[in-house]
Amino acid sequence: MIYEKHGRYIIPFDDVPSQRAVMPEISVEERKGNFVEVETGFPEEMAVNEAKRCLGCRRCLGCALCWAECKPEAIDFSMPDETLDLEFDEVIITPAQDNTFERLDKALGYGIYPHVITDLQFERMLSPTGPTDGLVMSPLNGQIPSRLAIIQGHPEEDENHLLPSLILGVNESILALHKTEELEVTLVSPFSDTFEKDYLPEAKKVKGLELVNGKPLSVKQETDGLGLLLTYTGTDGEKQQEFDMIVVLTKPKLSSDISNLSKKLNQEVVSA
Amino acid sequence: MCTGRIDPVWVARALKRGLDGFLIVGCYFGDCHYISGNVQAKAKMDMTRRLLEHIGVNGKRLSFQQCSSGEGARFAELVNEFDQQIREIGPIGEGGDQLGKPEIFEKLQIAEAVLGGEKMRWVIGKRTPFMESGNMYGEIFTEHEFRRAIDMIIVEETETQAILHSLNKGAKSVEQLSQELEIPSERVFRYIRALKRKGFVEMGQIIERNPIYQLASQEV
Amino acid sequence: MENKKTLVVGAGPAGVRLALERAEAGEQVTLVEKFPSLGAERIPRNRLINAEQAFDSPDLEKVRDHKNITIFPYSEVKRVTKENGKIKARVIKHSLRVDNTKCNDCKACIRVCPVNMFDDFNEGLGFRTAVDYFNPINAEYNIFKEDMPVCQRTCPVNLDIRGYVGLIADGKYAESLARIRERLPFPASIGRVCPHPCETACNRQYLDEPISICFLKRFVADVEIEAGIEPTYETAEKKYPEKIAIIGAGPSGLTCAHDLAKMGYENIKVFEALPVPGGYLWVGIPEYRLPKKILQREVDLIAKMGVEIQYNVRIGKDISFEELRNQYDAIFIGAGCHRGLKLRVPGEDEYEGIIDCVTFLREQALGIRKEGKGKLIVIGGGNAAIDSARVGWRMGYDEVYILYRRTRKEMPANPWEVDAAEHEGVKLQFLAAPVEILGENGKVVGMKCIKMELGEPDASGRRRPVPIEGSEYVIEAETIVPAISQGTDLSFLPEEHDFKLTRWNTFDIDEETGATNIPGVFAGGDVVSGPNIAIRAIAGGKRAALGIHEYLRSK
Ligand SMILES: Cc1cc2nc3c(=O)[nH]c(=O)nc-3n(C[C@H](O)[C@H](O)[C@H](O)COP(=O)(O)OP(=O)(O)OC[C@H]3O[C@@H](n4cnc5c(N)ncnc54)[C@H](O)[C@@H]3O)c2cc1C
Ligand code: SF4
Repeated sequence: MIYEKHGRYIIPFDDVPSQRAVMPEISVEERKGNFVEVETGFPEEMAVNEAKRCLGCRRCLGCALCWAECKPEAIDFSMPDETLDLEFDEVIITPAQDNTFERLDKALGYGIYPHVITDLQFERMLSPTGPTDGLVMSPLNGQIPSRLAIIQGHPEEDENHLLPSLILGVNESILALHKTEELEVTLVSPFSDTFEKDYLPEAKKVKGLELVNGKPLSVKQETDGLGLLLTYTGTDGEKQQEFDMIVVLTKPKLSSDISNLSKKLNQEVVSA
Repeated sequence: MCTGRIDPVWVARALKRGLDGFLIVGCYFGDCHYISGNVQAKAKMDMTRRLLEHIGVNGKRLSFQQCSSGEGARFAELVNEFDQQIREIGPIGEGGDQLGKPEIFEKLQIAEAVLGGEKMRWVIGKRTPFMESGNMYGEIFTEHEFRRAIDMIIVEETETQAILHSLNKGAKSVEQLSQELEIPSERVFRYIRALKRKGFVEMGQIIERNPIYQLASQEV
Repeated sequence: MENKKTLVVGAGPAGVRLALERAEAGEQVTLVEKFPSLGAERIPRNRLINAEQAFDSPDLEKVRDHKNITIFPYSEVKRVTKENGKIKARVIKHSLRVDNTKCNDCKACIRVCPVNMFDDFNEGLGFRTAVDYFNPINAEYNIFKEDMPVCQRTCPVNLDIRGYVGLIADGKYAESLARIRERLPFPASIGRVCPHPCETACNRQYLDEPISICFLKRFVADVEIEAGIEPTYETAEKKYPEKIAIIGAGPSGLTCAHDLAKMGYENIKVFEALPVPGGYLWVGIPEYRLPKKILQREVDLIAKMGVEIQYNVRIGKDISFEELRNQYDAIFIGAGCHRGLKLRVPGEDEYEGIIDCVTFLREQALGIRKEGKGKLIVIGGGNAAIDSARVGWRMGYDEVYILYRRTRKEMPANPWEVDAAEHEGVKLQFLAAPVEILGENGKVVGMKCIKMELGEPDASGRRRPVPIEGSEYVIEAETIVPAISQGTDLSFLPEEHDFKLTRWNTFDIDEETGATNIPGVFAGGDVVSGPNIAIRAIAGGKRAALGIHEYLRSK
């Protein structure tokens, strides 16, 4: 079954204890020379409070309000799952649509600051069918940024990753610049050889895009403002620069069900 | 009248009109003429109290008590006790609550919208079936799970209603809404996107790189 | 000739393109996608774009209307097998719960839905409600209903965590325990020792800290023990007469027996080589973490269901495996991993005083080894190493050391166990490895070690330790306990057997039923997975119980 890719959207409620209960233990002195159980168990009150922290994760509540509201009676809770046993001559495995990606370094701020997003999220943002109708807006406050950075999330990787990732970065820049007035985009990533040879001259012609052959080191929110401070090493040493929004280039990863299937059938995954 | 018939909206309305407390005295569990009217009433009032506390009203202003028709003395006692309690808290918005005077009435108006909204009414009405026979998928809820579900709706609905309430007075940017309602801008922007998807708000002009949102034309 | 049938898994850009290509070539294409709708337009990654034509859109319309393409959205592929050139697959099509032919996209449902959630289609940037459309292009609606919360999904036995935790919050402890027992016969034991993968997954961590799921299980189990309530197990009314033999009374074997007894099997016999039940729960995990009487109580409950446990019977020695096969209708092998692996350094087999952790802990647990003197060195960084050290400290060794060749960060042991050991006074030495065991008069006197440094990451992603030349040093010790890892001991099988084994000498089983390649023989637990955790062994026992039931009923 499919899960939400980005964890659960959680709303805190004020009266629930946020501290996790700590298991009481006997002291070290009491343990020497015997095998008495170290952990003594939660007292009742502690256990009940701990249990009350549970969010009772559940998506659809099954309340059927939608069903009651739907005039054409399209909603049907009893619609069953179907199981079909099929036979094929050939199977082609392609990456699923869940767009899983390799873990990003925490230092780059993804998952910490709302206005640090992935290239995949940015792709959706730029799409006319996306959540902002194709406009570039900072998820932090809905503002249209004027200084945008696109940074490489996996600078240690080789050509195989860097090239498509750089092209995507440039393409997203082209699109963002086209859609946004008075925008400046800085792309920070190590250049790959093919990129330098075949794409860089073209990319340099894009107005408003600054290309930096370098490695992003960290992203921090300024303590006194909303801006993001990017530290990176470029051709002329370490630099710092402030941005309104940052996009991190990710490295695609196969989701576990796809890689299991490919292992099981001993067959390569065909990607685009 | 059966306590089960008391609509939580009345509580918000009464407090909004300046009343300082709301006492409900119903029959004992098991004595209900309508079988479980009082059980539901208690659940509804608990939920309403949580909502009041969430928006900054002292929860003690709402009390649910039980007493049978033969217990005149107990009734008098309950009323006296409640009276005493309210006297201790003082008039609404004058120190006994988390909020002060003009804001508290503003918030109560939002509470009224939440309590009167169909989401809240519908889900609270599902308490008995959810806990006894299960939801549409046959999942039986624990009391705790049900409360969590309600909590979730309380938080989201008050914030959403607050945004709609504010936009009703004039178009605003995310940042302005965030400052006015004291909700983090990130969350406001999420709600705005959700409301836009649902067709409640739409984007108007862009002023100094800030898109301005307004209620969708059909909603005005 | 009939058209070639092709299954395309995944309807991302590549999948949609391939499906179209194949369909145009006349093949019969089935396109399976796990999300409720086909893919979105993408920005190309292989050429630079111009801003007006930025997106490559898959021709969804064409795919949908193509006569050679069948699309299964919101579906999963399961049970894939290859048989003489054909591939058999089971496709599970999840219900959308919305009839999109009737839906007129009026948005009435999403306006009232009380549940907001991240929008997968927009990579979590947007917001959807539980009932909503997935891809705005075709506005096909669906209701998002998870089959289980993440905690339950992550739990190897899929315990209804949300349910039992909720019941504790309501103060209904007995009901909560009953809910746990529906799937787990060892709540008090597992509630003490489980490394709780569920907590690692718990959604609450994104807010503050995960729920203490494991200890809450222990809490309800303890409530019953303290109140002195004797629980009873119900077994199915319909009884089955088949004889089932179970090798090993570890958590996997006992759970398999428990589940089968619950289903109504009356002739279940468990053979255990040791005089005690529980496998590593008894002879691995020390008393101070899991008191034996707690474990014994839970085992007794299983025995009361009609399961017979024969102690001190080692299959392969007291009874041959062949004999079991002839006498029983089905066999479950849950023999665990009871062979401590060797250090493979000179001197290892020459002196008295070197004893592998499995033996060390077992002898202590069985009361054979009571006291310790002098200096104890445990080698390894797993939980078994920590347990050995903490046991040694309690037995009275004057000084206890743990020697590990990487650093604390790479230790596979649970961090809270490492902290506890240190807290008790166990000394940790990192980046060191044994080179030679030194002895005098047939007894261990010490060990020559070498310092290590971390080099490049290996296949597991951990940085590989490499010895620093010339950094050898000697530490004195009277007792050395290698706790490197454990392997399976399959000596109970006849010398010539036909079992399919993996390269780790574990059983290769069917993932759905737990069946080995020999009909009627099933396996589970550490003997399949290699050294692992108890709850996974229990899951292995449960899976095999269902497999055995299916096997016996279809015979
Ligand atoms: C020191 C140590 C600490 C651990 N701590 C934890 C922990 O904290 N939490 C956790 O979840 N897991 C822990 N584990 C792992 C966990 O105990 C095992 O994963 C689990 O017990 C495996 O269960 P099993 O049923 O597969 O095998 P075992 O528990 O190993 O049981 C196998 C049984 O089969 C018997 N047997 C073997 N061969 C024969 C034969 N030929 N004839 C008859 N009987 C036979 C054995 O005597 C044994 O009783 C620990 C393991 C060790 C060694
Ligand atoms: S909060 Fe944690 S324990 Fe509770 S249901 Fe969610 S994932 Fe499970």
